Amino acid sequence: MKAPWHYMTVGDWLVILPLICAALAGVAWVAAAPGGTRVVVTSGGETCFSAPLDQPRSFDIEGPLGPTHLVIDEQGVRITGSPCPRKICLSMGPARHSGDLLACVPNRILVRIDSPGGKEAPYDLLSR
Amino acid sequence: MPWNRPLMIVLLAGLLALTWWRLQPADDEIRRSQLLMGTVVEIMAGGRPAGQLEDAVDAAFSEMVRLDHLLSSYNQDSEVSRLSQSASGGAVSAETAAVIGLGLEVARRSGGAFDLTLGRLKALWGIDRENPVVPNRQAITAALAGIGPNALTLNGRQLNKHDAELQIDLGGIAKGYAVDRAIAVLRERGIASAAVNAGGDMYLLGQRPERPWRVGIQQPRQKDAVLETVQVSDRAVVTSGDYERFFEKDGQRYHHIFDPQSGFPARGCQSVTIIADSVALGDALATALFVLGPQEGLRLLDQYPGAEALIVATDGSLHASPGWTKYQVAP
Repeated sequence: MKAPWHYMTVGDWLVILPLICAALAGVAWVAAAPGGTRVVVTSGGETCFSAPLDQPRSFDIEGPLGPTHLVIDEQGVRITGSPCPRKICLSMGPARHSGDLLACVPNRILVRIDSPGGKEAPYDLLSR
Repeated sequence: MPWNRPLMIVLLAGLLALTWWRLQPADDEIRRSQLLMGTVVEIMAGGRPAGQLEDAVDAAFSEMVRLDHLLSSYNQDSEVSRLSQSASGGAVSAETAAVIGLGLEVARRSGGAFDLTLGRLKALWGIDRENPVVPNRQAITAALAGIGPNALTLNGRQLNKHDAELQIDLGGIAKGYAVDRAIAVLRERGIASAAVNAGGDMYLLGQRPERPWRVGIQQPRQKDAVLETVQVSDRAVVTSGDYERFFEKDGQRYHHIFDPQSGFPARGCQSVTIIADSVALGDALATALFVLGPQEGLRLLDQYPGAEALIVATDGSLHASPGWTKYQVAP
């Protein structure tokens, strides 16, 4: 008895081989895709801003006390201006690893670094 | 019927299935944050279907909200506030008794370095207010009157205050207890892999899918640097440092961890990280060791087998307990 592929025509192979290549390329593309690390900001519990961490920008997020100013640059994302009384959030430094958090508790602003899988971060959580 | 057509269908179906499988996340995992207990509380949970994870995390957050109402000193209706307002104490719930009992035990063993009765002193400094002040010595002496490990007596669920003016403050332990309870709620709902982090007080339940949890420890004098990374499962990790809540006056930094003997911020350490069985214990020990400083602090830790510590002293030198290295991740 002949093996199955002996029954296949050239036309069958012309259909199947490109499909195999396309499927494998798709799998490779998914596997090699960049982490897509993003800055996600919530205000009062609602997500109000999301942007890639590798695209520098500065922006304001409105909280109950007024606008909190944030900057994304090569160091990560950090809070550079806040209407809160103690300004503790200004001294928190930059966040750049998956799972890092910044917060302005009085102004109800929460900044999180999200990375699908989070595998590139050297740690899962930061104890501070 | 020729062979090639069914084979083609099988092959294509297999490839489609493979692609679909590869596109799925390896495991369901959710990560949610809320502002609670005056800090950011983050819960991560995985290893179960998303719906089950969502329900469990909701329940864990609800538990922490409930405990915030029970144990916070800024909520005037809380049990702790009512105790502070009362002249001689009174009956407390089983949970409040458990938290106070643990706190008193650490207070006694640490010779008063950890103290549950610093409410008046903290109010005097106003470290969490808009305009904190450096009080004069007379006011500090008055705020320290009657405090100490023997200022409260707990008999079952009956708490006695030995001074009517004592203000109970569970800030050094209540957040940790709430994290422990949140973890218990997650466990009860069948979650085997989770992390609950309340402003640096955290418990790591189980493992990530492929390895234990990894926790970075903040370098106290460099905001964007990590001192080292530890790897843990089913353990609490708690850090207390002088860099999170502080104010500066005349070039001097005044932070929120007070030495009950002097009434001033403790000066022996920059930060203390504890790995322990529970976050509540870790929370209390981190404060006690911070106040005691590296040498005395590590001696206190000898009384707690299973707890380990990494201390950054005021001069930046590192002091670790003997078992700390088993948690370290090689750089």
